[in-house]
Amino acid sequence: MSHLPVLLVIVYLGSAFLTPLLSRLKRFSANWFAVGVAALGLLVSGTSALYLAEVGPFSYFPGGHPLPWGIEISVDWVAVYMQLTINFIAFMVLIYSKADLIREVEQGAISWYYTLFFLLMAALNGLALAADLFNIYVFTEISSLTACALVAIKSQRQCVEASLKYMILSTLGSGMVLLGISLIYMVTGHLNINVLGQALPAAFAAYPWNILVALSLFIIGFGIKSALFPLHVWLPDAHSSAPTPSSAVLSGLVIKVYVIVLAKIIFQVFGIDLFSAIPIPEVLLLLATFGIFAGSILAIGQKDIKRMLAYSSVAQICYIYMGLALVTETGAVGGLLHVFNHAVMKSSLFLAAGAIIYKTGIRKIEDLAGIGYRMPITMAVFSVGALSMVGIPGFSGFISKYYLAFGALDAGKPFYVAVILLSSLLNAIYYFPIIVRAFFGQGGGKFSRDNLPRMMSLPMLVLAGITVYFGILPGGLVKIVELAAATWLR
Amino acid sequence: MQDMVLQTVAKLLIPFIQLYGMYVIFHGHISPGGGFAGGAIVASSYILYALAHDVGAGFKQFPRLVAKWLESLGGLIFLLVGLVGIIRGVQFLTNIPEWLGQVGSIFSAGIIPLLTVAIGMKVCSTIVTLFYNLMEEDHD
Amino acid sequence: MISNLVDNLHFLTAILLFLIGFHTMLTHSNLIKKIIGMNIMETGIFLFFISIGYVEGGSAPIIREGTAMVNPLPSALILTGIVVGVSLTAFALALVIKLYRYYGTIDADEIMRLRSNEE
Repeated sequence: MSHLPVLLVIVYLGSAFLTPLLSRLKRFSANWFAVGVAALGLLVSGTSALYLAEVGPFSYFPGGHPLPWGIEISVDWVAVYMQLTINFIAFMVLIYSKADLIREVEQGAISWYYTLFFLLMAALNGLALAADLFNIYVFTEISSLTACALVAIKSQRQCVEASLKYMILSTLGSGMVLLGISLIYMVTGHLNINVLGQALPAAFAAYPWNILVALSLFIIGFGIKSALFPLHVWLPDAHSSAPTPSSAVLSGLVIKVYVIVLAKIIFQVFGIDLFSAIPIPEVLLLLATFGIFAGSILAIGQKDIKRMLAYSSVAQICYIYMGLALVTETGAVGGLLHVFNHAVMKSSLFLAAGAIIYKTGIRKIEDLAGIGYRMPITMAVFSVGALSMVGIPGFSGFISKYYLAFGALDAGKPFYVAVILLSSLLNAIYYFPIIVRAFFGQGGGKFSRDNLPRMMSLPMLVLAGITVYFGILPGGLVKIVELAAATWLR
Repeated sequence: MQDMVLQTVAKLLIPFIQLYGMYVIFHGHISPGGGFAGGAIVASSYILYALAHDVGAGFKQFPRLVAKWLESLGGLIFLLVGLVGIIRGVQFLTNIPEWLGQVGSIFSAGIIPLLTVAIGMKVCSTIVTLFYNLMEEDHD
Repeated sequence: MISNLVDNLHFLTAILLFLIGFHTMLTHSNLIKKIIGMNIMETGIFLFFISIGYVEGGSAPIIREGTAMVNPLPSALILTGIVVGVSLTAFALALVIKLYRYYGTIDADEIMRLRSNEE
């Protein structure tokens, strides 16, 4: 039973290797196989969550080698929370992709799409579990490469350019992370996160510059990959030109896993004392504030709907950074809660936008007049996602902003409550016109049926339902997140 | 580059390159090298062949189907050998103590030679596929 | 001062390579030069990491009778890093070939100009 988290990564890797072989069979449907594997993955992560609730956090050593020499995989509440988020969103997006991918990617490339998707899932699950700096580096590289390939697989001009830009900037980030790892290894001689957490104060007393430079390299390296404010320039092109299932996964999962990995390294290797002594939280809060405002203001002026959603992602990632940089328990709960909530909301928004493009081919916002009457279910899902993003009570976005505001008050920085309120207003400025134009524009009249394939409407409805459910009854989710935040901010 | 001198020299050298590559793969647990380096060496022999003759002739020696099978099999063998550890009741990728022979002999170190061969197969087919696909762009 | 420089020559060379590669990646407009810059930058980082593992008077890490050995851990880690670098280079080159087919040029400024002319 304790093998389950590792088995998750093995299942995804094995399916990635099997898919090219199996797609040579005549009646093999790559998509049903993918949905089956994702369902299995969701089941395994749910079972490991229940097992963790019984036994408590534990460590797993592949190869059986004990600590100073072996690789450790630490299964704690953060890992399980991230795994549940990753597998759930992947399951929903894979169901959606059955109908949608044929229109966006050529026929021969579909089985390769699923191979890349499984490698990305294996790498993201591995990042959630890894407790060893070099494992983190290897999984980071796998996930960056497959994410770039998932953008470039649609062979249009913008996709290839966006993918090249993403790849060059991402390699810069990985190089900096590797340099940071080597600086830490140089003075301590360990690579395991828990052992480093104990050995670091002595090393900091002897070699302060190494540790400080390593910390800054980590922040900038992972900041490039997770689109922290001034380093976000690759995100709008990449997420808006990718095929819809890739955009949903990239915006909803990939950038967040990097934030969680950075937080894991900072809280468990460097420790809260070092982190607060140098003014890193203040710098992160400043960048996060700029990012929230810049992302929202730039999103207001966009004409293409997917590009607007991509700029909105830039703003929302900064909420998570803000929650983690206010070094309090409530703030961390808010930030971690926003990981799941934003993943669900942003995926439902991207899937709804993709459904609109699938049915009518409309990408520009000004052409969306009256579309609420032609596609009522899709626009209902879009409205639920938009209202939740703004933070209207009754939807899950409100709960995470509530915890963030209380975290800011706990840290003694009430300025950030004003930031949250003002940015919610800015969010409303660019989301509400779409809803108004869709339902009250010209071309109105009576509602007609959506006529979307059922495989596309079902995931959207489930995601919207989850947004509403966790807005009204957030208890279970908040309990898991509180346990997760307690592992870092003991 | 269809030069007769190049073709003759390649014909003489390729067996030795492949033998050296396989030596590096199989002695991965005793001497420096292992899967990555050995796989790259074996791949370079196929690339030499394709450079001396035509890419089409290169594809006849290393068809796309063989490459696909080698890649998938390499990865799957790695995962299956690791799962043997779980079946025996210990952790993933644990070594098998009965197979740990004497340090320095070729039949030693448990499952490590199997993993090295799997990695060698995978790396070789990957590098050959990459080069053949990039060379083929020229001929379209 | 000079003995300090000579003692740390490997670190200085590694950082110099990193900076040269970084500068090339960001400033040159030819896409192939950007990829070459990426490779030079990665080479600098690998040199930095491997040179940490050196032990004075050590030999290769193969078991023999009682000799000092060089630390094998950085070499094993960097082998993985080199393979990752090769994959990234291959992928980037494939993307550049596709861009050349679409635009007829591999100069990044030229491509920006053509793109803004289209829109």
